[in-house]
Amino acid sequence: MANAFKPLTNNDIAITRTLLHEAIPLSGTIISGTYDESATSTSNIKNYAAGLFQSVYDYPYLSSSANHVVDITFGYNANSSLSASDSTTVTQQDKKINIYNELAQVLMGHDATGSIKEFKIPGGEYIREAYFLSFTRLLVKDEVSKNNFTMKLDGLDGYRAAWSDPGTEMLPDTYTFPTSNNETVFYTDSPAGEYSVLSCSMSGAVGLVFYQAGIAVVGTGSIKNNIGNVVGETVEAVMTGSSISGSANAFRHQINTIDFNNTTELNSTLYFCRANHNEFNYSSNPTYLSASKILVKEDTADEPVSYVTTIGLYSPDNELLAVAKLSEPLKKTPTTELTLRVRLDY
Amino acid sequence: MGFLDNSGDIILDAVLTDTGRMRLAKGDGTFKITKFALGDDEINYTLYRNANNPKGAHPSGSAYYDLDIMQSPVLEAFTNDTSFLKSKLVTLTNPSLLYLPVLKLNERTAENARNTDTAQALNKFVVLVDEDTAKYVSDGLRQEGSPAGMIDGITGAGTFVRVDQGLDTTDIDPASLLDPQLYESQYLIEIDSRFGKIVSKTGTATVTPSFNDDNIASYYLTNATDGAFVTNNAITLKKDAAAQTIAGPRGSILEFSLLSSLELQRSNVLFTKVGTNDQTWTDSDSTSRNIRYIDTIIKITGLTTGYRIDIPIRFVKLR
Repeated sequence: MANAFKPLTNNDIAITRTLLHEAIPLSGTIISGTYDESATSTSNIKNYAAGLFQSVYDYPYLSSSANHVVDITFGYNANSSLSASDSTTVTQQDKKINIYNELAQVLMGHDATGSIKEFKIPGGEYIREAYFLSFTRLLVKDEVSKNNFTMKLDGLDGYRAAWSDPGTEMLPDTYTFPTSNNETVFYTDSPAGEYSVLSCSMSGAVGLVFYQAGIAVVGTGSIKNNIGNVVGETVEAVMTGSSISGSANAFRHQINTIDFNNTTELNSTLYFCRANHNEFNYSSNPTYLSASKILVKEDTADEPVSYVTTIGLYSPDNELLAVAKLSEPLKKTPTTELTLRVRLDY
Repeated sequence: MGFLDNSGDIILDAVLTDTGRMRLAKGDGTFKITKFALGDDEINYTLYRNANNPKGAHPSGSAYYDLDIMQSPVLEAFTNDTSFLKSKLVTLTNPSLLYLPVLKLNERTAENARNTDTAQALNKFVVLVDEDTAKYVSDGLRQEGSPAGMIDGITGAGTFVRVDQGLDTTDIDPASLLDPQLYESQYLIEIDSRFGKIVSKTGTATVTPSFNDDNIASYYLTNATDGAFVTNNAITLKKDAAAQTIAGPRGSILEFSLLSSLELQRSNVLFTKVGTNDQTWTDSDSTSRNIRYIDTIIKITGLTTGYRIDIPIRFVKLR
């Protein structure tokens, strides 16, 4: 009997898993400098009424073309030396503590008593004041690739020269996280997945990068007096005297570059569509016949010829579930066999 | 959709169809790929330059017969599940076949003929959507000259669609036996379910269709279980050719009628949305009546041989 369908057996189907990586280079000009932040219509920095974080876009955020890149926020722990006994003397102190606790709860989890664990360099110091950079899923995809996260900050003078006058070349990098590359040791005691330590060229281990969450925690101990909004302003003054968005501005203006690779996990099913020599040699194409005669044959001794441009994958009830197109027609005759590998990614 | 780059290696561009995505989202196990088919939708076999071509065989020899075909650009994959695989490659074990069967609309008798009036619905079957429209045709319009191709959308009476299958060639005598593997025993009829449904030619027998996400109802009919629709064409004599449209050996016959949907009977929304509201039909007494209509097609596919034809249909309703 004539047949247009061929069953796929278990030998024709394979499951594979592939990790794809993309390089994500974020320049300081995107994060701060290309767009005029003073006017809402031109700014790529979005602040919110609650004032808990600010969002960075790659284009003025009112445009539908803008892509959300990263959220920046700042917080400290109640045990921090910055935490004042009278919270009213510090700008947004309660909110800064809340932000720290929220992220610590998600990224570090709770101890045996149910208390929120503080950020801590494994085997090292606590991170009680930190900037948090939460990269969007658009960039991170499934996770940040290990051993690839790098962030460079400029010194204060570099910041002023660069951003007050975009035509001026930035000063050489002052701080680089990590010094060479991330530590090869990955820690798994976080409820949010694996993380590693960010090391600074001048201050050693200063932060953490959480790969699956796509969040970098940058302790302020490493950058001290070099993030102020004005020359000579100390980091402590920024953290206590400025709002979260003001602190984020100060930090953002210091960013030279951020580079990392993301990872996309592709689960694929491969369908090997095998056309044996005696299969698929005729066509039901209306142009194949003229008065029922096969056009590609002049007499019965000629071999039939057909051309493949499309592969259809079907359900048992004949519903077309997936289509694959060849970039050019493939000739099929009784003297040829074809194996067409169709990959569906999920 | 663009064309695929064919300047380098052969690549495969694969997508899930809308039906595939819908089934995947359902998560009920209906997304299960169990078979494949190969298609050649972009191929125009009349470009094959052998001796059958009106231009004659390619002067450079048989290696150049398919030069134009091999250069055909191929479209990117659509996600619409009804857009591709309209013509499939077919497996036939006999490599010596010179003729293949076709499906052909049989209009040899008045009860199977399409409309012939340019002012009504030239070359289309007309489904009269409601009783008023059917009565108007029988009482008024028909007296003008028995308009052809009219199907009563309430009862299925009147004209019905007949499709014959076989080798449509005078090179082989109809008395010759059709190769059993070329006999079409299963048919698929696809119709937009918003407009109507398929019934037997007497309007009495029905078949339960399946539906896809595009409102297309699929009716699977076989001569083993659906004798009211699919029958064997036993006429093998040339003297009976007056009622036959297949010139050579004959296979099966598919016959059916149509009923209009309740939505078309009771609402004019679809006529406004996907049809036309401003055609005029004229009675024998020169009285003009305005009608609404929707043009559509019914796709008929032979599931054994893969051959397919489209039947034009017009659903008509008096304004």
